[in-house]
Amino acid sequence: MGKAQLIRMLQIIAAVVIVVLAVGLYRAKSDASRTQAHVRELQGEIEEREAALRELRAEIAERESPANVEKLAQDRLGVAPGSASATLPESEIARRLPAPERSREPRT
Amino acid sequence: MRPFNVTGAFQPQRAYSPATAGEAAPARNRVRLLAIGVFLVLLLLAGRAVQLAFSGDPLAEPRAPNGASVLPRGDIVDRNGVLLATTVRAYALTATPARVWDAPAIADQLRRVFPDLDRAATIRRLGDTSRRLVYLRRGLTPEQRTRVHELGLAGIGFETEHHRDYPQGTLAAHALGFTDVDQNALSGVERGLDADIRAAGAEGRAVRLSIDVRMQYALEEELSAAARAAGATGGAAILLDGRTGETLALASWPAFNPNEAGAAPSNARRDRVAGDLHELGSTIKPFTVAMALQEQVTRSGELFDLTTPYVIDNSTIIDHERVEGMSTLGDILAHSSNVGAARLAVRLGGARQRSYLDRLGLTAPASLELGRNQAPLAPQARTRRDVAGLGFGYGLAATPAALAGAYTVFTNSGARVTPTLRAAGPDAAVERASVFSPEVTRQVLLYMRQVVTDGTGRAADVPGLLVAGKTGTAEKLDGAAGYDDSRNFSSFAGVFPANDPRYVIVLALDDTGEGAAGGAVAAPAVARTLRRIAPMLGLRVEARSPAR
Repeated sequence: MGKAQLIRMLQIIAAVVIVVLAVGLYRAKSDASRTQAHVRELQGEIEEREAALRELRAEIAERESPANVEKLAQDRLGVAPGSASATLPESEIARRLPAPERSREPRT
Repeated sequence: MRPFNVTGAFQPQRAYSPATAGEAAPARNRVRLLAIGVFLVLLLLAGRAVQLAFSGDPLAEPRAPNGASVLPRGDIVDRNGVLLATTVRAYALTATPARVWDAPAIADQLRRVFPDLDRAATIRRLGDTSRRLVYLRRGLTPEQRTRVHELGLAGIGFETEHHRDYPQGTLAAHALGFTDVDQNALSGVERGLDADIRAAGAEGRAVRLSIDVRMQYALEEELSAAARAAGATGGAAILLDGRTGETLALASWPAFNPNEAGAAPSNARRDRVAGDLHELGSTIKPFTVAMALQEQVTRSGELFDLTTPYVIDNSTIIDHERVEGMSTLGDILAHSSNVGAARLAVRLGGARQRSYLDRLGLTAPASLELGRNQAPLAPQARTRRDVAGLGFGYGLAATPAALAGAYTVFTNSGARVTPTLRAAGPDAAVERASVFSPEVTRQVLLYMRQVVTDGTGRAADVPGLLVAGKTGTAEKLDGAAGYDDSRNFSSFAGVFPANDPRYVIVLALDDTGEGAAGGAVAAPAVARTLRRIAPMLGLRVEARSPAR
């Protein structure tokens, strides 16, 4: 193989490599943008759930706040924190709680 | 190119000659340049590939180290992790004026969801076509957003934003403070720890306070009940762990809801624990006695004749109720004798008195991490009369927070610790500044216990808890008219349990009426509070008062 042919061959190989790289780069970029979009979507979903979680935590804190617990204790148990009635035995508390709803029997 | 001319005749190829070689040289150079160019491009691509492989995604959203999304402000929790303040998602109601055709109709529709929406202002904003986007309302809840969305109004939209939420409502409102709609801190811890709360939001962590919501609730409830019963215009109370300086509860009355801070009157939004100044009255007397003992201008066995008024610089100092017979230092505190305290103060002298007041922290603002710590009014005593007045709590206006800080000397064998709202770790170092000797502190503690068992503070006694303290009833200044004995600042400051004092409590009611002394209105509220709080602190309280 002559020198000119060798150069020609190298040029062809280089051209093929460039084309392959160009195609590869295009594919890599399109894959990356797809992945990026997916990641953004997931991040958005995470943020959405985090926001919902924060709202739920705030709601739990509100429901467990001493003022709310005291109101529930007064409404449902008839006791006020700090009063002598707050020292009710456990059995008494269970007795004062509203009766649990009966589960329906499955129809046969 | 094929070797044919346009006519199709064969044309022989030109033979190689040095001339043609000379023409080919630039072409080869161009090929080389092209090759170099291609090589450089490939090198660039390879470099970028390596950079992308070894670096993170430069387009990724900023996230906290623990994976949580970055928030403008972090959560605030109490010492047990109970949520006090958080940042939740909210919506801003916006409008694009260019797309609004019938502003009055849209305003009317919106008022069905927001009845308090200003119709005229809304119409004006909707018609402001010079602006691309206008805000109509901020901080909408998801439910409000859904209701507006269902109206299907053209030109009306929403923007997602953050909203500060205080799930405990009015609880600890003055301690927490609040922010504006843009999350800028305006008061309370929100302002005092603003930088830390913002950093916590960026890092996805919470800021932990020393407050305990259970104790906070008990203190607020009892303060509110006492203030209403006494017809006071305001109230303040603070409970400290006197060993570490941690604030377990901090209450001001009247209360407000920080979720609707804008709707609350400024009187209710005012923090009275670190923000309001009052002449402290007799709650300062234990310090006068301690100063006198420390400087050896008296001794524990000395007897005083308090039956006659004390005349000094043409002023006469009298006691509200004459103390009969010869009195001990304990009697001076138990009967809250102005005459006795004034005599001790004058013996001590202005310079030494001032030095102790400085070291007790009563001449400097309290250092609670709040938006505002009011500086005291503490002019230098110029006359013996001023010194005598300071001895029983007049001529120095300080905050209840500063007074509570000073009372920590009785929980640290004579050393003062600085009150804080930050939760301290179990091994955290506590800075203590020595003011009195342990012997003097122990002696004064016995006298303060006598105040509760046999003196003006009997209503603060909680059987089984061993409360020691001092009542205070300071007449309020009424401008140029001088002191008004029908308007009082009534208080109780104390420590417990007296056999191993650890906790400090100060409760004060502002503008109580004539005869509403600290022992009559503040001391009972302290007892009620301690009965509720003691079990939370692991302290035993007897159910009923033992027969005397």
